[in-house]
Amino acid sequence: MQTEVLQQPDFSMVKVTFARPGEALVATAGTMVSRDTSVQMKTGLRGGLLASAKRKLLGGESLFLNTFTATLPGESVYLAPAAEGDVAEFNVRPGESLMIHSGAFLASESTVKLDTRWGGAKGFFGAGMFLLKAEGEGKVMVSSYGALHPVDIRGAGFICDNENIVAFTDGLEYQVRRIGGMKSLLLSGEGLVCHFQGRGRLWMQTRNPSRFAAWVHPFRRVRSRSSGGD
Amino acid sequence: MQIDLQHRPSAAMAHVVLASGESLMAESGAMVGMTPNVAIQTGSGGLMKGLKRLFGGESFFRNTFTAEGGTPGELYLAATLPGDLVVLDVGPRGYFLQSHAYVASSTAVDVDTRVGGFKTFFAGEGLFVLKTRGQGQLIAGAFGAIEEVQVRGEYIVDTGHLVAWEDSLQFRIAKAADGWIASWLSGEGLVCHFSGNGTLWMQTRNPSEYGQQLGRRLPPRES
Repeated sequence: MQTEVLQQPDFSMVKVTFARPGEALVATAGTMVSRDTSVQMKTGLRGGLLASAKRKLLGGESLFLNTFTATLPGESVYLAPAAEGDVAEFNVRPGESLMIHSGAFLASESTVKLDTRWGGAKGFFGAGMFLLKAEGEGKVMVSSYGALHPVDIRGAGFICDNENIVAFTDGLEYQVRRIGGMKSLLLSGEGLVCHFQGRGRLWMQTRNPSRFAAWVHPFRRVRSRSSGGD
Repeated sequence: MQIDLQHRPSAAMAHVVLASGESLMAESGAMVGMTPNVAIQTGSGGLMKGLKRLFGGESFFRNTFTAEGGTPGELYLAATLPGDLVVLDVGPRGYFLQSHAYVASSTAVDVDTRVGGFKTFFAGEGLFVLKTRGQGQLIAGAFGAIEEVQVRGEYIVDTGHLVAWEDSLQFRIAKAADGWIASWLSGEGLVCHFSGNGTLWMQTRNPSEYGQQLGRRLPPRES
Protein backbone atom coordinates (compact mmCIF):
# COMPACT_ATOMS: atom_id res chain seq x y z
CA MET A 1 0.00 0.00 0.00
CA GLN A 2 1.31 3.42 -0.98
CA THR A 3 0.11 6.65 0.49
CA GLU A 4 0.53 10.20 -0.73
CA VAL A 5 -0.67 13.30 1.10
CA LEU A 6 -1.88 15.85 -1.44
CA GLN A 7 -2.83 19.55 -1.34
CA GLN A 8 -0.95 20.31 1.86
CA PRO A 9 -1.26 22.09 4.20
CA ASP A 10 -4.65 23.83 4.40
CA PHE A 11 -6.92 21.30 2.70
CA SER A 12 -4.92 18.10 2.70
CA MET A 13 -6.22 14.87 1.27
CA VAL A 14 -4.60 11.45 1.15
CA LYS A 15 -4.44 9.06 -1.78
CA VAL A 16 -3.99 5.43 -0.85
CA THR A 17 -2.93 3.11 -3.67
CA PHE A 18 -3.15 -0.62 -3.09
CA ALA A 19 -0.28 -2.82 -4.29
CA ARG A 20 -2.01 -6.20 -4.06
CA PRO A 21 -5.51 -7.60 -3.96
CA GLY A 22 -6.59 -8.28 -0.41
CA GLU A 23 -4.84 -5.27 1.07
CA ALA A 24 -7.21 -3.35 3.29
CA LEU A 25 -7.49 0.10 4.79
CA VAL A 26 -9.68 1.05 7.72
CA ALA A 27 -11.01 4.63 7.72
CA THR A 28 -13.27 6.77 9.87
CA ALA A 29 -16.81 6.81 8.43
CA GLY A 30 -17.49 9.79 6.19
CA THR A 31 -13.90 10.41 5.14
CA MET A 32 -13.99 8.78 1.69
CA VAL A 33 -13.76 11.26 -1.17
CA SER A 34 -13.65 8.82 -4.08
CA ARG A 35 -12.48 5.34 -5.02
CA ASP A 36 -11.94 3.07 -7.97
CA THR A 37 -14.85 0.73 -8.54
CA SER A 38 -12.70 -2.34 -7.88
CA VAL A 39 -12.08 -1.17 -4.32
CA GLN A 40 -14.70 -2.77 -2.13
CA MET A 41 -16.12 -0.85 0.78
CA LYS A 42 -17.56 -2.57 3.79
CA THR A 43 -19.06 -0.72 6.70
CA GLY A 44 -18.41 -2.53 9.88
CA LEU A 45 -18.04 -2.43 13.55
CA ARG A 46 -14.33 -2.82 13.79
CA GLY A 47 -13.35 -5.46 16.33
CA GLY A 48 -16.98 -6.48 16.87
CA LEU A 49 -19.85 -4.77 18.59
CA LEU A 50 -18.32 -4.55 22.05
CA ALA A 51 -15.03 -3.04 20.98
CA SER A 52 -16.90 -0.57 18.78
CA ALA A 53 -19.33 0.40 21.50
CA LYS A 54 -16.40 0.97 23.83
CA ARG A 55 -14.76 3.19 21.24
CA LYS A 56 -17.94 5.15 20.63
CA LEU A 57 -18.70 5.57 24.31
CA LEU A 58 -15.17 6.23 25.44
CA GLY A 59 -13.41 7.58 22.42
CA GLY A 60 -16.13 9.63 20.83
CA GLU A 61 -15.00 8.77 17.32
CA SER A 62 -17.36 7.23 14.82
CA LEU A 63 -18.80 3.88 15.75
CA PHE A 64 -18.50 2.83 12.15
CA LEU A 65 -15.23 2.37 10.44
CA ASN A 66 -15.23 1.63 6.74
CA THR A 67 -12.90 -1.02 5.43
CA PHE A 68 -11.65 -0.58 1.88
CA THR A 69 -10.29 -3.75 0.33
CA ALA A 70 -8.45 -3.97 -2.98
CA THR A 71 -9.46 -6.55 -5.55
CA LEU A 72 -7.03 -5.33 -8.23
CA PRO A 73 -3.50 -3.97 -7.87
CA GLY A 74 -2.81 -0.28 -8.49
CA GLU A 75 -6.27 1.02 -7.66
CA SER A 76 -6.82 3.68 -5.09
CA VAL A 77 -9.04 5.49 -2.63
CA TYR A 78 -8.94 9.17 -1.64
CA LEU A 79 -9.71 10.21 1.93
CA ALA A 80 -10.18 13.63 3.54
CA PRO A 81 -11.01 14.72 7.09
CA ALA A 82 -13.97 16.99 7.90
CA ALA A 83 -12.22 20.17 9.02
CA GLU A 84 -9.73 22.33 7.16
CA GLY A 85 -6.20 21.30 7.99
CA ASP A 86 -3.36 18.92 7.39
CA VAL A 87 -2.93 15.16 7.18
CA ALA A 88 0.14 13.27 8.34
CA GLU A 89 1.18 9.69 7.87
CA PHE A 90 3.02 7.51 10.38
CA ASN A 91 4.43 4.03 10.36
CA VAL A 92 3.89 2.03 13.50
CA ARG A 93 5.81 -1.13 14.20
CA PRO A 94 6.18 -3.37 17.25
CA GLY A 95 7.66 -1.26 20.04
CA GLU A 96 6.76 1.98 18.23
CA SER A 97 3.10 2.58 18.88
CA LEU A 98 1.31 5.86 18.41
CA MET A 99 -1.27 7.47 20.69
CA ILE A 100 -3.90 9.39 18.71
CA HIS A 101 -6.49 11.85 19.98
CA SER A 102 -9.83 10.19 19.21
CA GLY A 103 -10.95 13.01 16.93
CA ALA A 104 -7.75 13.02 14.88
CA PHE A 105 -7.79 9.46 13.56
CA LEU A 106 -8.28 9.29 9.80
CA ALA A 107 -7.28 5.81 8.64
CA SER A 108 -4.91 2.92 9.13
CA GLU A 109 -3.77 -0.22 7.41
CA SER A 110 -5.81 -3.22 8.51
CA THR A 111 -2.66 -4.74 10.05
CA VAL A 112 -2.71 -1.96 12.67
CA LYS A 113 -4.63 -2.66 15.86
CA LEU A 114 -6.62 0.20 17.39
CA ASP A 115 -7.30 0.21 21.09
CA THR A 116 -9.22 2.84 23.04
CA ARG A 117 -7.49 4.32 26.05
CA TRP A 118 -8.93 6.76 28.47
CA GLY A 119 -6.51 9.55 29.24
CA GLY A 120 -7.96 10.01 32.70
CA ALA A 121 -8.52 13.23 34.57
CA LYS A 122 -7.20 14.59 37.80
CA GLY A 123 -9.49 16.49 40.10
CA PHE A 124 -13.23 16.26 40.30
CA PHE A 125 -13.95 17.24 36.73
CA GLY A 126 -14.67 14.00 34.99
CA ALA A 127 -14.02 15.10 31.46
CA GLY A 128 -10.92 13.25 30.44
CA MET A 129 -9.26 12.71 27.16
CA PHE A 130 -9.79 9.75 24.89
CA LEU A 131 -6.98 8.27 22.93
CA LEU A 132 -6.60 5.53 20.39
CA LYS A 133 -3.50 3.43 20.68
CA ALA A 134 -2.33 2.34 17.23
CA GLU A 135 -0.06 -0.68 17.50
CA GLY A 136 1.12 -3.53 15.37
CA GLU A 137 2.68 -2.82 12.01
CA GLY A 138 1.54 -0.56 9.24
CA LYS A 139 0.59 2.94 8.18
CA VAL A 140 -1.60 5.28 10.21
CA MET A 141 -2.99 8.60 9.01
CA VAL A 142 -4.10 11.41 11.28
CA SER A 143 -5.61 14.82 10.58
CA SER A 144 -5.30 18.22 12.23
CA TYR A 145 -7.61 21.22 12.54
CA GLY A 146 -5.28 23.96 11.37
CA ALA A 147 -1.60 23.18 10.95
CA LEU A 148 0.20 20.21 12.39
CA HIS A 149 3.07 21.23 14.65
CA PRO A 150 5.61 18.74 16.04
CA VAL A 151 7.19 19.29 19.45
CA ASP A 152 10.17 17.23 20.58
CA ILE A 153 9.76 16.56 24.26
CA ARG A 154 12.85 16.15 26.40
CA GLY A 155 13.54 16.04 30.12
CA ALA A 156 11.65 19.19 31.12
CA GLY A 157 8.35 17.94 29.71
CA PHE A 158 5.57 19.85 27.97
CA ILE A 159 1.99 20.94 28.61
CA CYS A 160 -0.61 20.91 25.81
CA ASP A 161 -4.28 21.86 25.80
CA ASN A 162 -6.24 18.59 25.41
CA GLU A 163 -8.09 19.98 22.42
CA ASN A 164 -4.85 20.77 20.59
CA ILE A 165 -3.41 17.25 20.86
CA VAL A 166 -3.29 15.24 17.62
CA ALA A 167 -0.94 12.38 18.41
CA PHE A 168 2.18 11.46 20.38
CA THR A 169 4.71 8.68 20.51
CA ASP A 170 3.82 5.91 22.90
CA GLY A 171 6.92 6.27 25.08
CA LEU A 172 5.74 9.58 26.55
CA GLU A 173 4.12 9.59 29.95
CA TYR A 174 1.01 11.73 30.08
CA GLN A 175 -1.34 12.97 32.72
CA VAL A 176 -4.48 15.05 32.29
CA ARG A 177 -4.51 17.98 34.68
CA ARG A 178 -6.25 21.21 35.27
CA ILE A 179 -4.22 24.27 34.54
CA GLY A 180 -3.08 26.67 37.26
CA GLY A 181 -5.25 26.99 40.35
CA MET A 182 -8.98 26.41 40.66
CA LYS A 183 -9.62 29.96 39.47
CA SER A 184 -7.68 29.28 36.30
CA LEU A 185 -9.53 26.04 35.69
CA LEU A 186 -12.92 27.71 35.90
CA LEU A 187 -12.16 31.07 34.38
CA SER A 188 -9.06 30.90 32.22
CA GLY A 189 -10.82 29.37 29.26
CA GLU A 190 -7.97 26.91 28.97
CA GLY A 191 -9.81 23.86 30.28
CA LEU A 192 -7.84 20.70 30.80
CA VAL A 193 -4.31 20.19 29.69
CA CYS A 194 -2.14 17.18 29.21
CA HIS A 195 1.19 17.13 31.00
CA PHE A 196 3.81 15.12 29.09
CA GLN A 197 7.01 13.73 30.49
CA GLY A 198 9.80 11.58 29.19
CA ARG A 199 11.22 11.62 25.69
CA GLY A 200 9.25 11.55 22.52
CA ARG A 201 7.34 13.63 20.03
CA LEU A 202 3.99 15.32 20.23
CA TRP A 203 2.01 16.70 17.27
CA MET A 204 -0.26 19.62 18.07
CA GLN A 205 -2.94 21.23 15.92
CA THR A 206 -2.95 25.02 15.74
CA ARG A 207 -6.73 25.39 16.02
CA ASN A 208 -9.12 24.18 18.71
CA PRO A 209 -12.48 22.75 17.56
CA SER A 210 -14.33 23.43 20.84
CA ARG A 211 -13.14 27.00 20.85
CA PHE A 212 -14.50 27.46 17.33
CA ALA A 213 -17.84 25.87 18.31
CA ALA A 214 -18.05 28.26 21.27
CA TRP A 215 -17.36 31.14 18.90
CA VAL A 216 -20.20 30.13 16.54
CA HIS A 217 -22.75 29.48 19.29
CA PRO A 218 -23.79 33.12 19.99
CA PHE A 219 -24.59 33.59 16.29
CA ARG A 220 -27.40 31.04 16.48
CA ARG A 221 -30.89 32.51 16.61
CA VAL A 222 -32.56 32.39 19.99
CA ARG A 223 -35.66 30.22 20.18
CA SER A 224 -38.61 32.45 20.92
CA ARG A 225 -40.67 31.31 23.89
CA SER A 226 -43.98 32.64 22.57
CA SER A 227 -43.85 30.62 19.35
CA GLY A 228 -44.78 27.49 21.22
CA GLY A 229 -41.67 25.60 20.23
CA ASP A 230 -40.53 23.48 23.12
CA MET B 1 10.62 38.06 24.59
CA GLN B 2 11.08 36.43 21.23
CA ILE B 3 8.04 35.87 19.05
CA ASP B 4 8.16 33.66 16.00
CA LEU B 5 5.07 33.25 13.82
CA GLN B 6 4.65 29.78 12.32
CA HIS B 7 2.23 28.12 9.89
CA ARG B 8 1.31 31.41 8.31
CA PRO B 9 -0.95 32.49 6.85
CA SER B 10 -3.98 30.21 7.23
CA ALA B 11 -3.24 28.38 10.45
CA ALA B 12 -0.84 30.82 12.11
CA MET B 13 0.48 30.13 15.58
CA ALA B 14 2.89 32.21 17.67
CA HIS B 15 5.88 30.60 19.36
CA VAL B 16 6.94 32.82 22.24
CA VAL B 17 10.16 32.42 24.22
CA LEU B 18 9.92 34.18 27.58
CA ALA B 19 13.15 35.05 29.40
CA SER B 20 13.26 33.94 33.01
CA GLY B 21 10.81 36.06 35.00
CA GLU B 22 9.27 37.59 31.90
CA SER B 23 5.47 37.67 31.57
CA LEU B 24 2.93 37.75 28.79
CA MET B 25 -0.78 38.46 28.96
CA ALA B 26 -3.02 36.46 26.61
CA GLU B 27 -6.65 36.25 25.63
CA SER B 28 -8.57 33.51 27.39
CA GLY B 29 -8.20 30.18 25.58
CA ALA B 30 -5.27 31.24 23.37
CA MET B 31 -2.73 28.83 24.90
CA VAL B 32 -2.02 25.80 22.70
CA GLY B 33 0.98 24.43 24.60
CA MET B 34 3.82 25.45 26.87
CA THR B 35 6.80 24.24 28.84
CA PRO B 36 5.98 23.26 32.44
CA ASN B 37 8.05 26.10 33.94
CA VAL B 38 5.51 28.62 32.65
CA ALA B 39 3.05 29.57 35.39
CA ILE B 40 -0.46 30.68 34.51
CA GLN B 41 -2.39 33.21 36.53
CA THR B 42 -5.97 34.19 35.77
CA GLY B 43 -7.20 37.67 36.57
CA SER B 44 -9.22 40.58 35.31
CA GLY B 45 -6.63 43.27 36.09
CA GLY B 46 -9.31 45.10 38.07
CA LEU B 47 -13.09 44.87 37.97
CA MET B 48 -13.56 47.88 35.69
CA LYS B 49 -11.01 46.66 33.15
CA GLY B 50 -12.65 43.25 33.15
CA LEU B 51 -16.13 44.70 32.72
CA LYS B 52 -15.01 46.95 29.91
CA ARG B 53 -13.51 43.98 28.13
CA LEU B 54 -16.66 41.95 28.67
CA PHE B 55 -18.67 44.82 27.24
CA GLY B 56 -16.39 44.89 24.24
CA GLY B 57 -17.05 41.24 23.47
CA GLU B 58 -13.81 39.95 24.90
CA SER B 59 -13.46 37.75 27.93
CA PHE B 60 -13.65 39.17 31.44
CA PHE B 61 -10.54 37.31 32.44
CA ARG B 62 -7.15 37.22 30.87
CA ASN B 63 -4.29 34.91 31.61
CA THR B 64 -0.80 35.95 32.54
CA PHE B 65 1.96 33.50 31.68
CA THR B 66 5.29 33.85 33.50
CA ALA B 67 8.55 31.91 32.99
CA GLU B 68 9.62 30.67 36.40
CA GLY B 69 12.44 28.66 37.91
CA GLY B 70 15.32 30.69 36.46
CA THR B 71 15.00 29.28 32.95
CA PRO B 72 13.39 30.58 29.77
CA GLY B 73 9.86 29.40 29.08
CA GLU B 74 8.20 28.53 25.80
CA LEU B 75 4.60 29.18 24.93
CA TYR B 76 2.48 28.52 21.82
CA LEU B 77 -0.52 30.78 21.19
CA ALA B 78 -3.22 30.76 18.53
CA ALA B 79 -6.46 32.53 17.70
CA THR B 80 -9.86 30.86 17.29
CA LEU B 81 -10.56 31.46 13.61
CA PRO B 82 -8.44 30.41 10.64
CA GLY B 83 -6.06 33.16 9.64
CA ASP B 84 -2.86 35.05 10.08
CA LEU B 85 -1.16 36.80 12.99
CA VAL B 86 0.86 40.02 13.13
CA VAL B 87 3.36 41.20 15.76
CA LEU B 88 3.29 44.92 16.58
CA ASP B 89 6.15 46.69 18.34
CA VAL B 90 4.54 48.98 20.87
CA GLY B 91 6.66 51.87 22.13
CA PRO B 92 8.06 53.59 19.07
CA ARG B 93 4.39 54.11 18.29
CA GLY B 94 1.07 53.22 19.81
CA TYR B 95 -1.72 51.24 18.17
CA PHE B 96 -5.44 50.84 18.16
CA LEU B 97 -6.86 47.35 17.79
CA GLN B 98 -10.31 46.14 16.90
CA SER B 99 -11.05 44.37 20.21
CA HIS B 100 -11.53 40.84 18.82
CA ALA B 101 -8.10 40.96 17.19
CA TYR B 102 -6.26 40.85 20.50
CA VAL B 103 -4.29 37.65 21.12
CA ALA B 104 -1.48 38.51 23.54
CA SER B 105 0.91 41.23 24.70
CA SER B 106 3.93 41.82 26.95
CA THR B 107 2.81 42.80 30.43
CA ALA B 108 4.68 46.11 29.96
CA VAL B 109 2.09 47.00 27.33
CA ASP B 110 -1.04 48.50 28.79
CA VAL B 111 -4.13 47.63 26.75
CA ASP B 112 -7.18 49.75 27.46
CA THR B 113 -10.70 49.16 26.09
CA ARG B 114 -12.52 52.14 24.60
CA VAL B 115 -15.70 52.72 22.71
CA GLY B 116 -15.01 54.05 19.25
CA GLY B 117 -17.84 56.22 17.97
CA PHE B 118 -20.02 56.95 20.94
CA LYS B 119 -23.08 57.96 18.90
CA THR B 120 -23.09 54.86 16.73
CA PHE B 121 -22.70 52.73 19.81
CA PHE B 122 -25.99 53.94 21.25
CA ALA B 123 -27.60 53.59 17.85
CA GLY B 124 -27.23 49.85 18.22
CA GLU B 125 -23.81 48.95 16.97
CA GLY B 126 -20.55 49.98 18.44
CA LEU B 127 -16.96 49.36 17.79
CA PHE B 128 -14.79 48.57 20.72
CA VAL B 129 -11.20 49.43 20.23
CA LEU B 130 -8.15 48.73 22.32
CA LYS B 131 -5.52 51.38 22.79
CA THR B 132 -1.96 50.39 23.61
CA ARG B 133 0.43 52.28 25.84
CA GLY B 134 3.83 51.39 27.23
CA GLN B 135 6.55 49.41 25.56
CA GLY B 136 6.74 45.85 24.34
CA GLN B 137 5.18 43.54 21.80
CA LEU B 138 1.62 42.70 20.94
CA ILE B 139 0.22 39.85 18.86
CA ALA B 140 -2.94 40.52 16.85
CA GLY B 141 -4.94 37.87 15.03
CA ALA B 142 -6.92 38.11 11.82
CA PHE B 143 -9.74 36.13 10.25
CA GLY B 144 -8.23 35.31 6.87
CA ALA B 145 -5.13 36.99 5.52
CA ILE B 146 -3.74 40.34 6.57
CA GLU B 147 -3.47 43.20 4.09
CA GLU B 148 -1.33 46.16 5.11
CA VAL B 149 -2.40 49.60 3.88
CA GLN B 150 -0.40 52.84 4.05
CA VAL B 151 -2.86 55.66 4.61
CA ARG B 152 -1.89 59.07 3.25
CA GLY B 153 -4.77 61.46 3.67
CA GLU B 154 -8.11 59.76 4.00
CA TYR B 155 -9.34 56.17 3.85
CA ILE B 156 -12.46 54.14 4.69
CA VAL B 157 -12.50 50.56 6.05
CA ASP B 158 -15.46 48.37 7.03
CA THR B 159 -15.22 47.89 10.80
CA GLY B 160 -15.55 44.11 10.40
CA HIS B 161 -12.34 44.03 8.38
CA LEU B 162 -10.22 46.04 10.80
CA VAL B 163 -7.36 44.45 12.70
CA ALA B 164 -5.18 47.32 13.93
CA TRP B 165 -3.88 50.77 13.03
CA GLU B 166 -1.19 53.16 14.16
CA ASP B 167 -2.32 55.83 16.58
CA SER B 168 -0.94 58.52 14.28
CA LEU B 169 -4.20 58.02 12.36
CA GLN B 170 -7.33 59.89 13.37
CA PHE B 171 -10.48 57.82 13.10
CA ARG B 172 -14.21 58.09 13.47
CA ILE B 173 -16.94 55.47 13.11
CA ALA B 174 -19.78 56.22 10.74
CA LYS B 175 -22.58 54.60 8.78
CA ALA B 176 -21.48 53.12 5.46
CA ALA B 177 -24.10 55.01 3.46
CA ASP B 178 -25.88 58.30 4.02
CA GLY B 179 -29.06 57.11 5.68
CA TRP B 180 -29.49 54.34 8.21
CA ILE B 181 -31.74 52.34 5.90
CA ALA B 182 -29.42 52.67 2.92
CA SER B 183 -26.55 51.80 5.19
CA TRP B 184 -28.30 48.70 6.43
CA LEU B 185 -29.36 47.63 2.93
CA SER B 186 -25.87 48.09 1.58
CA GLY B 187 -24.76 45.30 3.90
CA GLU B 188 -21.79 47.32 4.96
CA GLY B 189 -23.05 48.49 8.35
CA LEU B 190 -20.39 50.60 9.96
CA VAL B 191 -17.20 51.91 8.53
CA CYS B 192 -14.19 53.60 10.02
CA HIS B 193 -13.05 56.87 8.46
CA PHE B 194 -9.32 57.37 8.81
CA SER B 195 -7.33 60.51 8.23
CA GLY B 196 -3.67 61.34 8.54
CA ASN B 197 -0.60 59.29 7.79
CA GLY B 198 0.03 55.81 9.10
CA THR B 199 -0.27 52.07 8.58
CA LEU B 200 -3.37 49.99 9.06
CA TRP B 201 -3.90 46.24 8.90
CA MET B 202 -7.07 44.75 7.45
CA GLN B 203 -8.34 41.17 7.60
CA THR B 204 -9.61 39.66 4.37
CA ARG B 205 -12.66 38.07 6.05
CA ASN B 206 -15.29 39.61 8.29
CA PRO B 207 -15.97 37.44 11.38
CA SER B 208 -19.51 38.66 12.08
CA GLU B 209 -20.57 38.17 8.45
CA TYR B 210 -19.32 34.61 8.66
CA GLY B 211 -20.94 34.06 12.05
CA GLN B 212 -24.28 35.33 10.77
CA GLN B 213 -24.13 33.09 7.70
CA LEU B 214 -23.49 30.09 9.92
CA GLY B 215 -25.90 31.13 12.64
CA ARG B 216 -28.99 31.35 10.48
CA ARG B 217 -28.34 27.83 9.18
CA LEU B 218 -28.10 26.38 12.68
CA PRO B 219 -31.07 25.36 14.82
CA PRO B 220 -32.11 28.05 17.32
CA ARG B 221 -30.56 27.91 20.74
CA GLU B 222 -32.24 28.28 24.09
CA SER B 223 -31.67 31.79 25.38
